[in-house]
Amino acid sequence: MKSIIRGSAVTLAALPLWLSAHTMNLLPSHFVQAKTGSFVSVELFASNTTFQADKGTPVDGFQLYLPDGSVGKVQGSYQGKRKSLVDVALPVDGTYRLQNGGQPRFFTSYELNGEKKRLMGDKQKAAAELPKGASNVVTTQGRNKALAFVTVNAPTDTVLKPSGQGLEFTLDKHPADIVAGEAVTVTVLFDGKPASGVDSELMFDGELYRNEAGRQHFKTDAKGQFSFTPQSAGRYLLEAALEKDLKSAKADKIREGFTWAFEASMP
Amino acid sequence: MKKIAVLVFAGALSSSVATSAQAAQLQIDVAIPQVTEGEAHWPYVAVWIETEQEQPVRLVEIWRQKPDWLKDLRRFWRKIGRSDKALVDARTGATKGPGEYRLVWNGQDNQGVDVAPGKYVLVVEAARENGGRNMVKQAFDWNGSAVNFSIAAGSELGEIKARRVD
Repeated sequence: MKSIIRGSAVTLAALPLWLSAHTMNLLPSHFVQAKTGSFVSVELFASNTTFQADKGTPVDGFQLYLPDGSVGKVQGSYQGKRKSLVDVALPVDGTYRLQNGGQPRFFTSYELNGEKKRLMGDKQKAAAELPKGASNVVTTQGRNKALAFVTVNAPTDTVLKPSGQGLEFTLDKHPADIVAGEAVTVTVLFDGKPASGVDSELMFDGELYRNEAGRQHFKTDAKGQFSFTPQSAGRYLLEAALEKDLKSAKADKIREGFTWAFEASMP
Repeated sequence: MKKIAVLVFAGALSSSVATSAQAAQLQIDVAIPQVTEGEAHWPYVAVWIETEQEQPVRLVEIWRQKPDWLKDLRRFWRKIGRSDKALVDARTGATKGPGEYRLVWNGQDNQGVDVAPGKYVLVVEAARENGGRNMVKQAFDWNGSAVNFSIAAGSELGEIKARRVD
């Protein structure tokens, strides 16, 4: 979550977006389609206010998974200043997974003469590049991804299945079946196992036009679960992140996060 | 318009032939209101029966132009439209202008089997291009006793009247 980042984000301008206080967004033009062979246009951006595009994110991290789980081709893309765009063809019925990011990156934070600093790189790189006198050295393996699911005609489940790697989630219903007023239970997984104590935040579209952001905060229980009920039909963003110690030659800590854009349909 | 009225009539006729003469029906009168402001597209409308547990029982009729926009009948799409194209195609008619239209539920499910006596729900959903969406529901007992109710008009649907005819 943002709060995890905020304390140490001292050189924001120099950091890639996935490390900044911004939230990664992947927002398709449509979540539901009634026609095979149609398209959706997908916006990729970083935001603070929910779904208000602040900065276009790179399009080369975008991945499309077809309903059978195979990787699809992007039809066209544009990297914009405020938002980036990719066009995606939907040639068959079923549920598609759209994802941006997901590649692990390493950064090392340290203190020098009382000032907090970072360098991009794992423990080996840090060992070679750290200035003399650096203290409080911590290397983090970070991985963030932004997700959405688009369904053409009847929903399918193949692309919903967790891979067993990193921070993921499952639902007690299909994303295309989320309806205003009906509860949704989320199970957060880390490396395929339910993860307890994970912080998450649920955001509802339209924050720019109301006083109360109305964000809801959750912490997963012993089963890795939490539940929420979308009160209104509309577009939502769920963000979750986890940070834990890591015993590895490359990093001391791991930080994983995802955002998932979805819509709650009218009853 | 005329063509559709004939088709609906023929459908009602053939089902009354196929089933016994005493088979009860639910007559459903759906009114499409006159739109006086903005673009006057005719609404997409779906009429169906659900169980109290919100499971679809019988699609009575669906009026549409292009199938691409059926998804905008959000409940219809989720409950029926997205997963049973053949059924939807079989019950599809053209969109209709302002007026009153009589539909009939023959007391059967989508497989053509008489439903068990019990409580059912009439659902009518309408969505209009450059207009709004209405979805109304009314539960009723389907156990041989009289059924007679009406649902107040909304922006996209006029008053709906339903009654059992034995």
